[in-house]
Amino acid sequence: MMKIDDNLELKPDGTVTCSHCGAEVGPDRHNPMAKAIRHERPSSVAEPGIRADPVFFTDRPIVIRQVSCSGCFTVLLTEIVPGDEPQHRHWQLSDA
Amino acid sequence: MPLIQIAGSDRFAYKTKPSAETVMLAKGVKLHTVSATDIEAVDPLTYEVVRHRLAAITEEMADGLKRMSGSVVVTDCNDFGSTILDESGDAVIVGLYNLELAASVDMAVKWTLEKRSEKPGIRPGDMFLCNDPWVGGGIHQNDVTVMAPLFHDEHVFAWTAVICHQVDLGGVSPGSWSVEGRDVFWESTPIPPVKIVENGEIRSDIEDMYLRRSRVPRLVALDLRAKIGSNNIAQAQITQLIAKYGPVTVKAVMKRMMNDAESRLRAKLSELADGEWNAVAHQDSFRHDDRDIYKIVLKMTKSKDRLVFDFSGTDKEAEGFANCTYAGLRAGVLPMVMTQLCADIPWSPGGLYRCIDIISEPGTINNCNFPAGIGKASVASCWATQNVTAECVATLLAIHPDHRKSLMCVSCGTWDLALLAGLDQRGAPFVTMICDSMAGGLGARSDQDGVDTGGVATIPMGRVADVEINEFSFPMLYLWRREETDSGGPGRFRGGAGGSSCFIPYDSPLGGVHMVVSATGKALPQSSGISGGYPAGTQHDVLLRDTNVLSMLKSGRIPADLKDIDGETHVLQAHLEGALGMTDVYYTHWQGGGGYGDPLLRDPAAVMRDLQNNKVSLSAASKVYGIVLDGGGNIDGAATETHRCYLRRVRAGLEPATSEGAE
Repeated sequence: MMKIDDNLELKPDGTVTCSHCGAEVGPDRHNPMAKAIRHERPSSVAEPGIRADPVFFTDRPIVIRQVSCSGCFTVLLTEIVPGDEPQHRHWQLSDA
Repeated sequence: MPLIQIAGSDRFAYKTKPSAETVMLAKGVKLHTVSATDIEAVDPLTYEVVRHRLAAITEEMADGLKRMSGSVVVTDCNDFGSTILDESGDAVIVGLYNLELAASVDMAVKWTLEKRSEKPGIRPGDMFLCNDPWVGGGIHQNDVTVMAPLFHDEHVFAWTAVICHQVDLGGVSPGSWSVEGRDVFWESTPIPPVKIVENGEIRSDIEDMYLRRSRVPRLVALDLRAKIGSNNIAQAQITQLIAKYGPVTVKAVMKRMMNDAESRLRAKLSELADGEWNAVAHQDSFRHDDRDIYKIVLKMTKSKDRLVFDFSGTDKEAEGFANCTYAGLRAGVLPMVMTQLCADIPWSPGGLYRCIDIISEPGTINNCNFPAGIGKASVASCWATQNVTAECVATLLAIHPDHRKSLMCVSCGTWDLALLAGLDQRGAPFVTMICDSMAGGLGARSDQDGVDTGGVATIPMGRVADVEINEFSFPMLYLWRREETDSGGPGRFRGGAGGSSCFIPYDSPLGGVHMVVSATGKALPQSSGISGGYPAGTQHDVLLRDTNVLSMLKSGRIPADLKDIDGETHVLQAHLEGALGMTDVYYTHWQGGGGYGDPLLRDPAAVMRDLQNNKVSLSAASKVYGIVLDGGGNIDGAATETHRCYLRRVRAGLEPATSEGAE
């Protein structure tokens, strides 16, 4: 088993699992979060850290995107980004 | 007019190349070098003694600069860099100051060797001045390098270089931050390397050309002498070292330092997992009234003992003043490699760069062509490049059981610029950048919270000037400077809190002052978290016009919150230039650090501690950390667990279970 970060582990069989509940989050090291839940909301839900409505500064939609474990719903990735952009944050491990 | 690359500007856009090519191109000068056998022959004890002496010399350069400079940005905030380089311009060691500056000075020295060695020639007693970020040596025009060749026996033995931020070098706006600028022609004109000192004497014609553009020429002239003096200190010290140990030994140590840094970084990289990490850094607004958002994307590939930073897909260069050149891109990469991967490795960029490949398309916001605007580059696209690099490196480090302790989430997403100009309380013209955001929040670690108002990641020795120093030096009066609640990115380990300052103009013969504001991160935060951690809070600047603050002060009341002050409230866009009147109040709130891990996994006791210390509000404790307090103000464990279950489902877009209510 290899700990990947605060939430994920790489099992000897190559699957990526949640270190909190053991649920499989990804089938292999190339798709480590393929089975995770993705959800997007307006960034305003992240207040009080969002000090002012983004509409005041930009015409583009600003969202909070979160990727969560499908077993225990621990959040694996959080980003606040323009909602009209694809998700740029992802990673994969090379074959052992 | 649209950005159209200027014909012939390629000459100034330095493209990094192997040192051997620089040596070939430096036809007008003889360079001192040593053989591999010489490098091997240095005994370990001598190596350590000379290596530490060279490190100490960079500190002495810094001390000398600070003693001679008249700029608070230098003397109190440490916004400068000191570097020793070998004969061909590879950086041997950098001081612990602004690493952005140190990361690109090699380019300027190499350009000088390649383009100036025949005409006007490089001779003993010469020094060169440069503030052209396409050449290198600094990230925006305010970063002025003075670099000096050190001769031994008619050969260039080494170079020393000092860079510091000059508070004004002309351009449309005070401080050279032209918030309405469209391209570089709105800004201070870049100066490619020119011989400012010849045979030990300052060339008055070149100095006049340099100072003529500034609104504060006397201060810039003093800083010029400080940099010359700092180089003189280094040259005298290295000359003594050569006299004691011999040129071959000293040079062999310099070469071995770079080789050692390279081999140790390669060894560390070999211990880390191979893979590919992708991230993005955003900036909102490139100029006044610009409502767009710009992205820098990075694919970092780690394979065996190499790192490849591929910025393909980054947005095209844009009108405004927030692009950066290739020097800025390198200055975004190397400092994050040094601070996270090389804490136990000598900071010898000449060796570290050998482990790194950079892929980038010219004409993009972090590798722009001339004449794209770059007046804000150091804290705009260069800083955003640091953010995306820091995130990828941290995520790589998270995998390793030992090295994960070295990771740090993104710190203080960018600089919150407030620049003041006018007449000071002594009736003298002044321009200054208020460097309070030097007290940014540091990113969370894998096992601890980020340091509250701990600094900025790229300037290890950066510091914020005392309130009293700013009030003594400039016509301003602080109402407060403090840490801000909820500014650190939530996480199992919280990002360090950012801070705020609130001040008024005070005691200027003109009444008020002129002000330039430039601060992004308002539409969206720029200090990202990792492993589920949230980004830090957004930046927030507020201008209150026509307030009652003076009458409050007269009656002995010092406001402690914006809500205490009557006045016309303006939440500021990213960029503004205008007057700050006698009865106006300016509030500037910069960013904290990103969080690490899911905030719903944070120890409730730690959240309670944060509540008691005003690091986290009751609102965030409930909505983000899922904490429920009982009637006595203590944590209700059962209700907290229920509330956390509820929040987990809401975050994932699932219907909450009926038994799990929101608190």
